[in-house]
Amino acid sequence: MSSLRRPGLVLLAALILYSVTISPFTDYMRRKPVEEKLGYLPTLKVIRVMAADQKEVMGASLIMKVLMYFGGITMKQQEKIIAEPPDYVMMSRVIHGALQLDPYNMDGYYFAQAFLVWDAHQVAIANNLLDYGMKYRTWDWSLPFFAGFNSAYFLKDYAKAAEYFKRAGELSGSPLYINLTGRYLQESGKTGLAIGYLKTMIATSRNDTARKSFEIRLKAFEGVRIIEMACDRFREKEGRIPSSVAELLASGFLQALPLDPYGGQFYLEPDGKVATTSKFAFAGAKNEKRQNSGESHERH
Amino acid sequence: MIQVIRITLKGIFRDKVFQGIMMLAVLFAFIPLAASLSMRQVVELSITLSLSLVSFIMLVLAVFLGATSVWKDIDRRNAYSVLSLPVSRMSYMVGRFYGIALFMLFVSLVLGLVTAIVVGMSAGMYPPARPVVWSYIALALLFNALRSILLVAVAMLFSTVSTSFFLPVFGTTTVFIIGGVTQQVYDFIHTQAGAESLVPFARHLASIIYYVVPNLSSFDLKVNAIYAINPTLNGILLTLLYFAVYTTIVLSAGVLLFERREIK
Repeated sequence: MSSLRRPGLVLLAALILYSVTISPFTDYMRRKPVEEKLGYLPTLKVIRVMAADQKEVMGASLIMKVLMYFGGITMKQQEKIIAEPPDYVMMSRVIHGALQLDPYNMDGYYFAQAFLVWDAHQVAIANNLLDYGMKYRTWDWSLPFFAGFNSAYFLKDYAKAAEYFKRAGELSGSPLYINLTGRYLQESGKTGLAIGYLKTMIATSRNDTARKSFEIRLKAFEGVRIIEMACDRFREKEGRIPSSVAELLASGFLQALPLDPYGGQFYLEPDGKVATTSKFAFAGAKNEKRQNSGESHERH
Repeated sequence: MIQVIRITLKGIFRDKVFQGIMMLAVLFAFIPLAASLSMRQVVELSITLSLSLVSFIMLVLAVFLGATSVWKDIDRRNAYSVLSLPVSRMSYMVGRFYGIALFMLFVSLVLGLVTAIVVGMSAGMYPPARPVVWSYIALALLFNALRSILLVAVAMLFSTVSTSFFLPVFGTTTVFIIGGVTQQVYDFIHTQAGAESLVPFARHLASIIYYVVPNLSSFDLKVNAIYAINPTLNGILLTLLYFAVYTTIVLSAGVLLFERREIK
């Protein structure tokens, strides 16, 4: 009898101990520092050997890790919980590593375009990555479409943008992308174009984090567009640039001040350009390290 | 020899190997869910995960079936009873190999059907931008099966000389790992950087290893299946030829060693 009771007691005690331990254990795992969560990436040669015949899975899991990590932080920011700013350098490094393991993985390029461009201002790096991807995904129109948008909108390299859009147009069979370039040349057209681009991204997005991020940006750009249109009407009527958003409101050209979804306030720059105090980013996500000196600093 | 093949297949099913694999195959049920986390390539990810799982299961099978069949016969004195049949040692070895190879093909077929269901489900839920090319998936599965069969031959070669269970298991695993990277190493030593960073002796050694250890990377057609990229006919035919020749060499070396082995 006792021989049966003893293992039973040990099992019971172990189960009780487990239920006591599991909570602090889970807590410890959740609070692990970012570097530990994203993991230190060994050199690519080592990963290649370790991955054996599972390079594609390894690549996909690295991208998924970055996505989960970034999704967790943006979720906190949207809920106005103070969170550490995301470690973009580390994210970029992991994505690069993953795409070297599987250069065909579309999630990697999409992630680079969706987050590294807007939030981390790594436009030139993203375009390099897209150029690399185009060598492999030769059938995919979205890579030159992304690169074209980056070239025109951020880097203001219209010749290069036209080249990318031409390729996107040829691959997709749609003339839409070829028409895009010309519209960048005017400031007011630029906002309209960004809105068009974001709407395309939202329509083709099926990931919540990505879609949310695009929707918020779209809302901000729609706000800008409303003020820009009021500005244009003001200039037509008064023959000068309005001095402030308040003047637009007072003179009735603007019915109500649009809300900046990033929590900032829209204002007019001396040359009449619409800007916002949030710089189109959540406060926590401010990026001090601007990696890309060649990029535009307005309306990111 | 047909008798040995039959005994081998019977033995494998009696040991409930197939049921064991089916337990691992439960993981397939989670693939559509995991793949739906992908942002832009749900179907591609479900093909990736399915083929990887198949590849893993086949590797485990190849290592354990290849390593244990001959060793177990000798250890449990089964070889006596099997060898007491009017068959030569060669027929015994080759029969065992064919039996396991047939079983591997059968498992590959079953797992291939499961893969088709999983990928079909994903494609139904999230229609892919680039259509799935089923023949490429079938080809990737076939070449994965061939790779595993080649590893069975390697494991059997190890078990003809080993008195322990561990040498065949770890030996085959090592061959699998090295066989997957030799092409990369070979390509590297033939680049400028490789020529400069390695001493001539190391380069020669790497070349020798490249020719001796099976080149398994040529059997990996996963990328073609996942992203619907045309495999080259030339490459497929050469890999088939390579498989036939390499397996014959390993198997005949195994037979030679087994014929010389004393079984007490």
